[in-house]
Amino acid sequence: MIASKIRQILIGKRAGSVTLKYPFEPRPSEPGYRGRVTVDTDKCVGCGGCADVCPARCILITDVSPFIRIIRRYLDRCIHCGRCEEVCAYDALHLDGEYELATTDRKDLFIEQKLFMGTCNRCGRCYIPPTPLDRLMVVGFRKDEDLDGETI
Amino acid sequence: MVQQLTTDTILGRLSESIPVIASQSPTPHRLYIEVPKDRVKEACRILFEDLQGRYTITVGTDRRPVNGKFEVLHFFSFDRDNIRMAVRVFLDPDDLTLESITPVIPGAGWAEREIQDLVGIRVIGHPDPRPLALPDGFPEGLYPLRKDYPYNYQPPLDEGKTFPFKEPPPDATVVTVGPFFPVLEEPSQWRLFVDGEIVVGCDYRGFYNHRAIEKLGDSVLTYNQIVFLAERICGICGCVHSTSYCQAVEEAAGIEVPLRARVIRSLILELERVHSHLLWLGLACHIVGFDYGFMQSWRIREPVMWLAEYLTGSRKHFSINLVGGVRRDIVPDQFDRILSVADDVDRQTNELVKAIQDDTALIARLKGVGIFTPEEVRLSGAVGPTARGSGVAIDARRDHPYAAYDLLQFEVVTHDGCDTLARTLVRIGEIFESLKMIRQCVNLLKDIPVGDLLGEIPEEIPPLKDGMHAVEAPRGEVFHYVLTGYENRPYRWRVRAPSYQNIQSVPMMFKEGTYLADVPITLGSVDPCFSCTERMEVVDQGRSQSYTLEEKDLLRLSRSKYRALKATERK
Repeated sequence: MIASKIRQILIGKRAGSVTLKYPFEPRPSEPGYRGRVTVDTDKCVGCGGCADVCPARCILITDVSPFIRIIRRYLDRCIHCGRCEEVCAYDALHLDGEYELATTDRKDLFIEQKLFMGTCNRCGRCYIPPTPLDRLMVVGFRKDEDLDGETI
Repeated sequence: MVQQLTTDTILGRLSESIPVIASQSPTPHRLYIEVPKDRVKEACRILFEDLQGRYTITVGTDRRPVNGKFEVLHFFSFDRDNIRMAVRVFLDPDDLTLESITPVIPGAGWAEREIQDLVGIRVIGHPDPRPLALPDGFPEGLYPLRKDYPYNYQPPLDEGKTFPFKEPPPDATVVTVGPFFPVLEEPSQWRLFVDGEIVVGCDYRGFYNHRAIEKLGDSVLTYNQIVFLAERICGICGCVHSTSYCQAVEEAAGIEVPLRARVIRSLILELERVHSHLLWLGLACHIVGFDYGFMQSWRIREPVMWLAEYLTGSRKHFSINLVGGVRRDIVPDQFDRILSVADDVDRQTNELVKAIQDDTALIARLKGVGIFTPEEVRLSGAVGPTARGSGVAIDARRDHPYAAYDLLQFEVVTHDGCDTLARTLVRIGEIFESLKMIRQCVNLLKDIPVGDLLGEIPEEIPPLKDGMHAVEAPRGEVFHYVLTGYENRPYRWRVRAPSYQNIQSVPMMFKEGTYLADVPITLGSVDPCFSCTERMEVVDQGRSQSYTLEEKDLLRLSRSKYRALKATERK
């Protein structure tokens, strides 16, 4: 019993204090960590692939008119699986190393993106024209309307 | 020499006494047989008693949209011969009754109560037919797992209804532990019937946190979304659920997983086992009042978590699996760190175990507590370290090889002690076996050329195909059954976590003369999740008084026993 206790003390002594100084010292995450979701809205073409695979359904898509598609990302519900990053064909979504996402306001974790889309002449559904120049020539105009303000 | 069983011999033995309607054996390791409704109990008795099969789970399915009938499957496993099988019976919607198999197989108790609650199949002759899964006051005649029940419908509850608890034996006092249980992570309520300090009986009420995961799986999500939901069934061993689910779908759809992906799955699963067992060891020490062991084993565990974060992108929910393979490769640059963490954990755990194994007070706290005999293991269907601590060498990794376990050399750690100490020693032994396997996985990865990590997936997964697969989780065997369906999602998905069987075995461990102070560690020895208790209530029936016991009081009770033992040591 005594020998066991002495050995226990020695192990504890050798290990010392292992408590990290966080949050007083920064603690960067490992490379490849799946943290905050960031969206590069310039690259996004509004295909909706991310909404299709999201297990938590935090990416929702609404077509408010034949020309405007709204993508709402409720990242407070995100489970950080990284499927959206994986399937995005245009490299628009990324999960970075940021993990300090606690907030008192859910709106801080909400990304709403309005996309100006072209309309298919045959089916009437939205699609994104291939080049910025084509986007200018699309029939229609950027609407300034209240898009049913409810977001969160 | 016991005769080797094959699917044919099992079928032959059953056909001798039972008219088998149909049988199907997609591989030499799988068998599905359909029997008439009135012969189910007999068929299960033959499989369980004569052929010594291990009962796994019962699944009830509403197949009305497909063939107008209900279906019940009783699953059995023949571990020595690597065969898993199911006894299938179709029920007419007009006569939804089925003879209970619980009198023959006590381990089927919960599963049968669950199909009664959720699918609405009445089980005749069940020794304890009380509700299990649904909340108190759930309306009669509504069965959530039926296909005509919308996944988001929440019926109004009848507030006046209460749960029919068991009556305590005369002269016994009832000690209610829960609904927030001090030892298990889930909210569960144990009513312990005590005579003084001695436990003379118990009653269980659980499923307070039933999250309808299976319903979501077969009505809302798609095949690849369920992987992530499955991972979140458990907060400690999530990867085993996602792997098991993926393997069940892969089996049903005939998807071939590339070798490299299989090795990565094995590596991650073993990493998970190391951290889970170290966590359990720490918490077991904490429960008996030996906080030194808790601190040190969690210190050793932390680098394993960091390694997991480095390899998969997250400390705990690795999200590494997809149907068909894995999502992230493990590259040669990462090998060194894996090996060095494995060496460190190996050395430090060894030191720690050597230091605490002579701590006589600690050992006295574990030895002879919660005796669980091999026969009881078989009856209750207990799995994992709980079974192996009683000398029953069942391990899905060896008996039903999956992932890359057929390429790895390892021993199945068993112990004959049948008590809490034996279960502790099994878990400690498994830490070292797992570390050995992690090193072997790294060596395998060095030789396997880098290539595809996802297998070829057919355009559409064929509907109404069965798949079942199990993974050896840290706590025991996790079993997933998938019936493939339409619209890119399963028709039925059934999860059986190891604790489902292991918790049912706990009443068997409360042998005559169990002390109240030994209850936390007995329960803890089964399932390694100890959560915080808010409060518990002691009802002294004799004096019709009740007073509450806070978490600290319960821990104090458990710890003062350790101190008392230590004091006797000194004398």
